[in-house]
This record gives sequence, C-alpha cells and structure tokens, in this order.
Amino acid sequence: MASLRNVAVVGFAQAPIVARDAHRIATEMLYGQVRAALDQCGVERDAIDFQAAGSADYLDGRPFGFVAALDVMGSWPAKPDLHLEMDASFAAYYAWLRIQAGDSDTALVCGYGKTSEGEPDRVLNLQLDPYYQAAIGLDPTSTAALQASAWMARSGATDRQLAALAARRRAAGARNADAQLREPTTADELAKTPWAVEPLRQGYLPPVGESAVCLILAAEGKAEKMCDRPAWIRGVDQRIELQTLGGRDLSRSAGAKLATERALAMAGLARAADVDVVELCATTPAEELILCEAMGLDAAGSRPAINPSGGPLVGNPVMMAGLIRLGEAFRQLAGRADGHGVAGARRAIAHGAQGHCLQQNVVWVLGDERRWT
Amino acid sequence: MDVSRQAAVLGVGQTQHASRRADVSIAGLVREAVDRALLDAGLEHRDIDAVVVGKAPDMLEGVMQPEQFLAGALGAHLKPLIRVHTAGSVGASTALAAVTHVRSGLFERVLAVAFEKQSEGNAMWALSPNLPFMQPIVAGAGGYFAPYVRAYIARTKCPPHIGPMTAVNARENGGRNEYAHLREPMTLDDVMNSPVLWDPIRYGETCPSSDGACALVIGSEDVARRTPHKPAWIRSGASYAEAMWAPGRDQVSPRAGKMCAKAVYDGAGIKNPWKEIDTAEIYVPFAWFEAMWLENLGFCDVGEGWKAIDRGEQKMGAHLPINPSGGVLCTNPIGASGMLRLGEAALQVMGRAGAHQVDGAKTALGHAYGGGSQYFAMWVVSDER
Repeated sequence: MASLRNVAVVGFAQAPIVARDAHRIATEMLYGQVRAALDQCGVERDAIDFQAAGSADYLDGRPFGFVAALDVMGSWPAKPDLHLEMDASFAAYYAWLRIQAGDSDTALVCGYGKTSEGEPDRVLNLQLDPYYQAAIGLDPTSTAALQASAWMARSGATDRQLAALAARRRAAGARNADAQLREPTTADELAKTPWAVEPLRQGYLPPVGESAVCLILAAEGKAEKMCDRPAWIRGVDQRIELQTLGGRDLSRSAGAKLATERALAMAGLARAADVDVVELCATTPAEELILCEAMGLDAAGSRPAINPSGGPLVGNPVMMAGLIRLGEAFRQLAGRADGHGVAGARRAIAHGAQGHCLQQNVVWVLGDERRWT
Repeated sequence: MDVSRQAAVLGVGQTQHASRRADVSIAGLVREAVDRALLDAGLEHRDIDAVVVGKAPDMLEGVMQPEQFLAGALGAHLKPLIRVHTAGSVGASTALAAVTHVRSGLFERVLAVAFEKQSEGNAMWALSPNLPFMQPIVAGAGGYFAPYVRAYIARTKCPPHIGPMTAVNARENGGRNEYAHLREPMTLDDVMNSPVLWDPIRYGETCPSSDGACALVIGSEDVARRTPHKPAWIRSGASYAEAMWAPGRDQVSPRAGKMCAKAVYDGAGIKNPWKEIDTAEIYVPFAWFEAMWLENLGFCDVGEGWKAIDRGEQKMGAHLPINPSGGVLCTNPIGASGMLRLGEAALQVMGRAGAHQVDGAKTALGHAYGGGSQYFAMWVVSDER
C-alpha cells in the first residue's frame, strides 16, 4: 500500500432523530448542524476547501432537492462541490478521495432529507429494478424479511435471538441523546409485537425517522488545529453488489466482507475484532448478524462494543444513517460520546450501507493515531 | 504525497442518440456506451477498478438511484461505485469525480458513465416541481432560463438573430456527427418562423429530449502510456456550485462559472483562453446561452460574446469552433449531456472526432452547467501532458 495522506474526522453535528420535524424543512434542519460542526472546529466556512453532500430527490418528492442545501452549506461565493445521490457516508468517502488527490485539505460533508415527507416503504420500492422487482411491490421491509429468512435458515438463528439483539440496541439507544427510540424495553416485549413481514417483527425495526448531519474532514497539519482529539482514518473501502435479490446469497454480505478486508489491510490491522468500537449501519437485527459474520465480529461479545449508540435500530434517517455511524465512531474516539461512550476506545470501525439487503457497503477503520508517517 | 498526479482519457463511448430508443432497456442503453468506451480503450470490465455513475433527476425515468439495479450491467459487482447528481452539470462532474479517483492514487482505470432515457417519462414536467411556498410558474427548464436570456439581451443589446444563427450553426455541425439526435439542417428563416416557447426562446433554439448515454475510461499516467490510442491528457478540471438565494447573485453571468473557469485555466496554465484553446464544447441547451457562456468563460469581454458569434468565429474552420459535435442543441440526454461535452473535447485532442474534427486541435475545453445556472463543471484536455 502506497503512502496516503493522514486525514481525520474533526467535527460532527447531528440533529436528534425524530419521527417528524413538523416545523422545519430539510435545509433548516441542516443549517444548525453545519454551524455547530464549524463551531466545534473553531473555524468559519472559508476554512473549508471542498463540500460534498448525500441525499435523494425521491425522498424530497421533487427533482433537485439538493440544490437548496447549497445555501445552508455556505456556498457563497461558489465552492468546489459534489453532490452524491447516495447515503452521505459515500459523500464522505468521495471527500476523502478528494483530499487524497491533493486538491483539498479540508471538507464539509452533509446528509439531509425528510423521510417523513413521503411513505418510505413506497418510495424505496422504486430503488428496485423497474422490470422485475419493483413491479411486484417489494419494499425494504419485505426484502429485509427475505434476507432475514435466508440468514435464519442458514445460521439457525431464532426469533428469540433477534428479539434479544433488538432489546440490547434499545437499551443502548436510551443512553444516546440523538436516538429516536429512547425507551428501553425487553426481548419479551419485542417478541410479542406483530409481524411487520415475517420473520421480522415491528419491534425489531426502526420507525420512520429524520435528521440532518454535518461532518468535517481535515488532513494532517490542519486536523490537529481543528480538533483536540482527531479520529484518524486509517483505512476505508467500499463495494457494491448486484441488486438482483435472486442473484446473490442474501444470507451473506460479500460486499461488506471484501470492503472490510481491504479497509483493514489499508489500516494495517489483521482483524476487525482488534478494534474497540464498531458502528454498523444495520436496519434489522438480521442485517447486523450478517454484517458481524462478514466482518469477523462476535455479535454477542463485549469487545468490540457493537453499536453503543443503539445504531439504526433506534433511529434510521434515510440517506444519512451511514454517515451517522462515522460520526459516532468519531465521537467515541474523541471522547464526545457522553452517555454512550465506550471507555478507553482507541480504534473503531464505522460501516455505512445503502440499497436493499445491504447492496452497497462502505467500511472505515479509524484510530486515535495517524496511520502513515 | 504527489499532488501533481496526472490522469488521461483512455476511451470514449457514446450511444446513438434519439428521442426514443425503444430497442433497448435502460441497462441496454448504458451498456451500449460502456461497451464502446471499453473497446475504445482496449479494456474489458475486469480491468476497471471503480465505476462512477451520473444522471440528472431520477424522476425522469421513475427509478430511484437506478445505478443500484444497473450495477450488474455496469460490470460493477464487488467494485467501488459512486453515483453523482449535480443537476445539468452532472455528466461533467461525473467525469471529474472519476478523475479524482485516479488522482487519489488508489485507482488505475476508472469507468465514468452518464445517461438519461428521457422517453421513459416526461422531462419537462419532471423539471417543473410544485414546491411549497413557491409559485408554480415554471414550465420546464426553458421557462426558468428565458428571463435570464432576456436580461442578457437587454444588457448587451444582443440583436434578435443571434439565437437563430447559433441554432443554425449547431445543426450544421450536428449533421457531421453520426451519433447526434437532430442532424437535419435548418435555415435562419426556419428558426425565426418557429413558435416562441418561452419568450424569447423559439422552438428552433431549444434542445431536444433525447435517450442516450456516454462513457469514458479515465486512467493514470502509467496506464495512459500503454493505451492503444493516443490519450487525451486532462490538464485540469474543476466543479463549483453556488447558493441559490445569495443576494446579488447574477444568473446571466454567474460568479460560479467565472470561478470554475479561472480554476481550470489556472490549473492548465492558460492565460488567454481565446488564444490558447483551439475548440470548446460548451453546454448550450438554449441557443442564446452560447453568447452568454462565451463571456462567462472569459473568451470574450462582457457584451462581446454575441459579436463573436455574429462574426462567425464559432463556426468550423473559424477562430474558435464551438460545439463541433452539434452540442446540446442537437443531442440532449440530460444526465449524459455534460459528459458528452467533455468526451467530445477529448475526441478533438485525440484527433478522432471523425467528420466533425477540428483541424489541428491540441487544447480543448469541455463545459457543463446545471441547476439555476449555479453548478459548473469543466475540464481542459490536451494532446500532450
């Protein structure tokens, strides 16, 4: 591996996830996060070289929804910019590439979008291929249920185990001020909730939620001045897979596995289990178990701590849930995770995903020390 | 860190463009361009390290994030992929995002793909959203841009034949481009007598709605030295965006366009674009924008853009041939239109533009814009490093 630039996450701000922010449009929700992230770093907008954002027109129900975000991102005068029609974790990936290319030293990465403006199950049906899959009415809950069935059939996992995992995440969410679900509950209670789509119960799935997030990246030389404890990016990789649900083994995530291997190799780490904290962008307990297997993690172990924030099971704002994982990893390493902080965390993995059944995955390895000298 | 890492265009592919490509699915359309670009670069899918996909609003086809279902057709399974959307500039910013991949040092060969299959939906109404708190007065992109064309005419005393002249020249050029959607010649009278759609924009001064795709293979310097055709070296590239509602924002000659052009010229070491650039492919969806962009891009002073067109400087064989391919006025698969500009600029400096080749083109500009004249993406390519 050639030597790369040391780049760190130096700021992260997130609007608490809510079912519906009835009084603010997406850009109003975002503005406060941009301001807060810059304030954390002690800089003004002119200190940021590049901006990237992730959002989806279809969540807004209109074309060019992202254009309005230019204003609140501080794009005056004009700024070098790229908008990705993706979860904002991939916008962070691109911003990291930009810094590697040497064009920029600092980058602002935003994720936004109001899931509550529409019916996400109907909207996300439109991600599927229009000829064979969308036409039969599949939605993310039903495709996730197909995946959960495939996992349970292969692994022997039981309904009870899914309930127990969901209950652990709910307990973690109670300690995270930005989580949407903050009431702890028991596996017994969750196992009594009705099927959303069998084998997934309503209690195992996140409710519709919305937020806005802003994360700041900076290269060595600037990062130290913008943050007392930067979270250095030691490795990152991303992979997409075929969408066709019958064309891949839904009980496995080949993309997450490969991205993890490559990110760990870049980071000079042998195993994912060598980190202290992992934040997984899993929107069902089965997805989380599939990811743990793909990444070589013990889902039931105490170290590394998995989703101490509660993860997407306690708040899943579409198009930014992945970037929040990266932000949470930063909070852990920077000592800013407050009530859900993992003591002594020095290394972390953050995972972002988008698409049905974990179609596309990005894996970040972070640490409290620089990777390259 | 080597910040001067070079990248080059190794291959260019585009589809046959038409108002309705009923013979192919969305995947088939995209694949037509991808296969041609790979063939052109002498590569196969397995040689590609990462894929960058761009298109304009997903509402145009009614598929959300269609790159997800296209992953197989793009040969992207288990590869890195990103999807770009920067309004009308997206084809160009997609190509530039592929350049960033290569310049990061992590990728040797990156496939950039952009497309639109406008016949799947109705672009004009998909681009006419009814937004909360805003009057629904815009009918299509022309409705949005017509007031700025009127402002340009008022500011510069641009005479009424400049738009029609531009449209006639575009069609003449498009007639020489085997891939162009509209290739039939038009006369000044044809354009002048066509109905006004959005005052002052006439039907004959308007881009078509096209189905089409474009693909580029971008490679590192090391790879470019071993490619079958002479590559187009990317001297510089930039994409800028500016806020929608900033007070004092000028949509006739946007500051973002000037900043982007300056960044690209500075990066390429160009001091006088009028003298140093041999041909330019610029994004002209409505004929009047050719004069406007000549000024915004620094080719001409304010008020001089239409005069250059009036003198015929933009024609083939003249001082600065503009849009030798016929440009957006002949072919407009929206998401791909920006990439076609960059790809056509590359073909010119490769010397492989066929019947619309500009003799001796060594340095070319490719340009695209989008949103409310607020997204700009450009590159300068050259036949030498």
